[in-house]
Amino acid sequence: AAMQRFLGPLLCLWALRLPAGGGAAARGLDVASYRERVRAMFYHAYEHYLESAFPYDELRPLTCDGQDTWGSFSLTLIDALDTLLILGNVSEFQRVVNVLQEGVDFDIDVNASVFETNIRVVGGLLSAHLLSRKAGIEVEAGWPCSGPLLRMAEEAARKLLPAFQTPTGMPYGTVNLLHGVNPGETPVTCTAGIGTFIVEFATLSHLTGDPVFEDVARKALKALWKNRSDIGLVGNHIDVITAKWVAQDAGIGAGVDSYFEYLVKGAILLQDKELMSMFLEYNKAIKNYTKFDDWYLWVQMYKGTVSMPVFQSLEAYWPGLQSLIGDVDNAMRTFLNYYTVWKQFGGLPEFYNIPQGYTVDKREGYPLRPELIESAMYLYRATRDPTLLELGRDAVESIEKISKVDCGFATIKDLRDHRLDNRMESFFLAETIKYLYLLFDPDNFIHNDGSDFDVVVTPYGECVLNAGGYVFNTEAHPIDPAALHCCRKRREEQWEVEDLMREFYSRKKTKKFTLKRAPNHGEKESAKDPEDASSEKAGEKRSSKKSSHSLLSCPSQSFNSKLAVLGQVFLDNT
Amino acid sequence: SCSRAKDVTMPAKLPVNFFSTRSPVIDLFRGQLDYADQLRQDSEIVLYFFYAPWCGQSIAAREEIEHVASRLSDQVLFVAVNCWWNQGKCRKQKHFFYFPVIHLYHRSFGPIEYKGPMSAVYIEKFVRRVMTPLLYISSRSKLLDFLSNYEPGVVGFFEFNASPQPPGYLTFFTSALHSLKKDYLGTIRFGVVTDKRVAEEISLVHSGSVYLHRHANTSLIYPKDIMNFTAENICKWALENREMLIRWLRPHGGKSLLLNNELKKGPALLIFIPYDPLAEIHPLLDEITKVALEYHKCNKSQAAEPDLQHVGESDSPAFDSSVTDAHLKFSETFPIAKYPCCNTVVLPQWHSISRTHNVCELCVNQTLGVKPNKVHVPHCNFLEIEAALDSFYLQEHTFFQVISNTIECSNFLSFYSPFSYYTACCRTVNRHFLSLISSEKTIFQTPKVAFSSHGKKDNTQFSIPHIEDRNCFIPDLNISSTNITGLSCRTNKTLNLYLLDSNLFWIYAERLGASRSTHFKEFAAIVDLKEEVHYVLDQNQSLVGSTLENFIKNFSVLYSPLKRHLVDDPSAHFHEEHMVTEVTTNTFHETVFLSAKNVLLLYYAQWCGFCASLNHIFIQLARLLPPDSFTVARIDVTRNDLPWEFMTDRLPTILFFPHQRKEQSVKFPEDFSVNLPNLLKFILHHSSLSSSEPCTKECLHKESVLQQGHISHLEREIQKLRSEISALHQAHDQLEAQLSEARREEQRLQQQKHTLEKQHKTLQLHSEQLQATYDQKNQELLEMAEKLQELADASENLLKENALLRILVASRGGKLQNKDEIKESLQSEQTLSEDNDISLSTATAALEEKRIDNIDTIETEHSSGNRTE
Repeated sequence: AAMQRFLGPLLCLWALRLPAGGGAAARGLDVASYRERVRAMFYHAYEHYLESAFPYDELRPLTCDGQDTWGSFSLTLIDALDTLLILGNVSEFQRVVNVLQEGVDFDIDVNASVFETNIRVVGGLLSAHLLSRKAGIEVEAGWPCSGPLLRMAEEAARKLLPAFQTPTGMPYGTVNLLHGVNPGETPVTCTAGIGTFIVEFATLSHLTGDPVFEDVARKALKALWKNRSDIGLVGNHIDVITAKWVAQDAGIGAGVDSYFEYLVKGAILLQDKELMSMFLEYNKAIKNYTKFDDWYLWVQMYKGTVSMPVFQSLEAYWPGLQSLIGDVDNAMRTFLNYYTVWKQFGGLPEFYNIPQGYTVDKREGYPLRPELIESAMYLYRATRDPTLLELGRDAVESIEKISKVDCGFATIKDLRDHRLDNRMESFFLAETIKYLYLLFDPDNFIHNDGSDFDVVVTPYGECVLNAGGYVFNTEAHPIDPAALHCCRKRREEQWEVEDLMREFYSRKKTKKFTLKRAPNHGEKESAKDPEDASSEKAGEKRSSKKSSHSLLSCPSQSFNSKLAVLGQVFLDNT
Repeated sequence: SCSRAKDVTMPAKLPVNFFSTRSPVIDLFRGQLDYADQLRQDSEIVLYFFYAPWCGQSIAAREEIEHVASRLSDQVLFVAVNCWWNQGKCRKQKHFFYFPVIHLYHRSFGPIEYKGPMSAVYIEKFVRRVMTPLLYISSRSKLLDFLSNYEPGVVGFFEFNASPQPPGYLTFFTSALHSLKKDYLGTIRFGVVTDKRVAEEISLVHSGSVYLHRHANTSLIYPKDIMNFTAENICKWALENREMLIRWLRPHGGKSLLLNNELKKGPALLIFIPYDPLAEIHPLLDEITKVALEYHKCNKSQAAEPDLQHVGESDSPAFDSSVTDAHLKFSETFPIAKYPCCNTVVLPQWHSISRTHNVCELCVNQTLGVKPNKVHVPHCNFLEIEAALDSFYLQEHTFFQVISNTIECSNFLSFYSPFSYYTACCRTVNRHFLSLISSEKTIFQTPKVAFSSHGKKDNTQFSIPHIEDRNCFIPDLNISSTNITGLSCRTNKTLNLYLLDSNLFWIYAERLGASRSTHFKEFAAIVDLKEEVHYVLDQNQSLVGSTLENFIKNFSVLYSPLKRHLVDDPSAHFHEEHMVTEVTTNTFHETVFLSAKNVLLLYYAQWCGFCASLNHIFIQLARLLPPDSFTVARIDVTRNDLPWEFMTDRLPTILFFPHQRKEQSVKFPEDFSVNLPNLLKFILHHSSLSSSEPCTKECLHKESVLQQGHISHLEREIQKLRSEISALHQAHDQLEAQLSEARREEQRLQQQKHTLEKQHKTLQLHSEQLQATYDQKNQELLEMAEKLQELADASENLLKENALLRILVASRGGKLQNKDEIKESLQSEQTLSEDNDISLSTATAALEEKRIDNIDTIETEHSSGNRTE
């Protein structure tokens, strides 16, 4: 009932504001010119970082100097590395790789965030490693299963492993890179800080052959899954020793966001049904309890009652994630809601009170976050809707007009008056600029749909690489899924393929044998990992109905999606 | 880093000019709303453009506003106000959720918000409507002109004779303005008649009466006695009672359910035409609306309408533009002369093996001469159809070459008569396909019957087209071909008609399959949301009234000859070197069914994460399988429609079409993970040929081919292994190099260690020596200090003695004064004091020397300590 009461004014308000569009899109946007403007934005920020802030982590654009924020690893440089390649600057990419190899040291007495170090440093180094051949770097013979950048990534990741030594397997939030977990360290970690490792750590394990990384990441994911509430939601912060929820707000934004993201991306990257079934269960609960009129609110994780009717800037990744699993209609509808907030302020405030239609006190800032642009890029892939390019245009115009200063781009401290703060987060170059550029560059190699690929001969066999389908980690570092099948390429599989090929050319004799073998193998496959299979079954029991289709698939788009562009949305017939 | 810098913030930059200073738009970039209000007092029509300088949409609209301003600046005041700057009055008083916002004022009336497209022509049109909300209708012909428009018209009759302003006129005028607030597209037009005789045309007698004209239904007069005569009421009344025969759809760009709501009403005909709101005449639009009027004209009002039109025509000299008139005539002739007779024709095939036939519906039309009976369409007499066939036959290439899945119609002129033309609507019937298509049984089985009944012709006389008995094919056409008039009431598949400006919304047309190559952005499609189908008007035909009528009629008949349109991806790239064949709607049949290979087909979408991560597996598979007997193909189903029976509801879906049994396609089981061994097994399992038969020569040949394939495969494998070996060698070399490098490094380190050790020893020695010297020096220093002490003591003694001596001397002097020998004693005293002075100075000098020595030793000790460290 409380929900209903709350929903009433919300809906009315929303209906009033519907005719918000300008109805442009008459002439197509000049995509090429916007692309060049994004490129210029990148270099304005990047060059000032190098000039004034390197080797500190971040540039302070108002005072034109640098500061260490998340450690002391020249973070902006690591984070911006693959953006350089996406912009096509091969020579600078090569130079920076050399600089990093010589300059970055992880044997330092620094308390670092496990989460941030993973997504920015490990993720950045991994993607740079996987892209280094494309960037014209002479790679060693064992590449992509070995290489200097991979070794650096592994070193950084090993520094994080002590954090996972807890009774629950859920990691601490902070670790000292030299001494491990500090005595007296708080055991309270946010949900995302526990569930945002599988993409980087599984990649590391597959490339290096050391399973420890993937194992700890999976263990942490399972611990969260086990501790979800009866109605299927997770809270914001949990005690990693006692597994008690400390903050019980459930939503899709701050503190939780990339946990859901990594369930989906992990499922895609590893073709893992278990992760996907977890996500689908959460998705159901999220739809049931937090979704109102295409907004997602915050609810109490045990009761499902609305606790905060706000939209957070960080939540804007959700439509992009939905598009990856084929829920394009809902994604577009939510995106259009979020876009109206951008139109109101020229950015997304950290918190936006939906019924009031205004920012929330002390949460008025916009640190040039990428999430909405990220979603626009994914959705543009799916729909080619010019509205998404318009968001890109608005982002370029806003960021240039509001936050550009002589020394770079400054965080917007307050969206109400556009006061600036003395900070330029490293994700501005790693994510915001990257997604903007990719939105305006449909022919970028990152968008490769499989029509191009590379064949690489490694000592472990031949690999097909760079065939598209890059999975972005939550800091927008792309991972080539094909690379994961390259190094740990099981000899068995190769021999099996060879056997099958032999049968191909002499079918008659073993025909029956093949017939029998095909289903058998599948069972063996799933039986390989008993843990997986058991929890998968548990998941299915929960839903109490057996899904008839594969979990690892998207629904085809409906007929009306043909016309669902330029702001038009369709209601389900069901 | 300094902590103060953390708190550094910077206020937003001060606002600057948004419009150039030379622009006709007054730019109040500091948000001076009060000044803006002042400006309004002096001008009759004002347009406010509220913007935010950072807003992309404001920036995009700026140019458009400037364009409009440059054309209307002498009549309209254009004021732009920065409504973002937080120090400005505008921001303080107004609260906008989006930018830009355009408000218009007609004197004190306002604000009227403009919500239409941000395009100069549309804005200008709207501003002009605000400037003259009422059209002055001076004559009868102008009245007819006003009423014949497809958009609803409201006419007020006011006699301006006695008083300067007749009662109610102002209210009527305001209601016209008021309607613009609600109806921002300005679809309802308001006119005013002052001449009594003109007013009588629409049976308005009393001054102050208001009339709403309707085409299909009876027109209305404002019921003054029931409703109060207020601007709001008139406006509401007109909006509620207006006729919407054909509607413009103008999505505003924000989230909206417009299409959802309209298309859920039932099947819709969407007509895309380029539209210039400022143009005086719209010939194509007139033609379309004519069709719409006809379509909706149900019996009731039929009598009134031709009357008006007739008058309009007889009055034609009064019209300025003869163009419209001519056009009007032209378009009118079409619906009158309708398909007097039709026959079905099966076209001969140039290729006897082909399983397809082109079936055409050939009709003879006459533009002049005897009007045919509207009710019944007779069969053509044999001569007529023969003559038509001759003309048709000469054009046959057009029909033979196109294998079309849709009905394609074309008109061509007769060679025999300048007044008649023929219409042929053809489609390809695929017999092979027929067995697969079940849903459209009804229509396709009919021609099948026809084929069989003319079986003899079918086999022998391929060279000439033959005439089918028309009743076998589309039996209902004769009913529908009578007339479109009032069809909307007679059919149970009523269409809603919509117009879209293709300058703004061409993207929808492209989505529905409009070809990207056409120069004219004209397109028509029937969308049936419930059935999830859409039909497209053949794009080779120009969009004119008659083709549109045909299209509507074809849709309305019981067994519609229209074929679901399948949108095809024109941008799909075909490269021979691609390992995986890209299939589109158009190449689907050819690649999958006609090719003599086993086909593995992947249904995918670029946006689906689960599909994209499989790319490398399919590429590997394609590289592995022998290309002469296997095709690995994929189809992007977001951009390529397929016939119902080949559609899937999940992606990725993998189908296998075995050679020679293409109709028995199998689906890769969904519960298996997609990887190379599983895919190979799947293919192996299903591609088995009937090879259990005893081996004949052919089979032996096949076997050898197979083995040949195997050999080449193995060769490729060997090649791969070789390269693998070379990679291993490389890795080995690399390791070797690294190892030797490491060894050298080790050696170097060893050496370094030795030298360091040596250095260490010498240093230790040195430090011992230094220690010794230090001790020695220390000893010396102590001795020196002792000596110094002694000296100091001695000098003290001496000083004491000196003082005693002085006293002694003084006492002696006193005594000597008394005595005579003064000089002698004085001399002796002097020498004594000099001696004392000298000894003192030497002592202090020695002391200082000692001190310097001491510091030196400390320094040396310090540095030696450093070195030992």
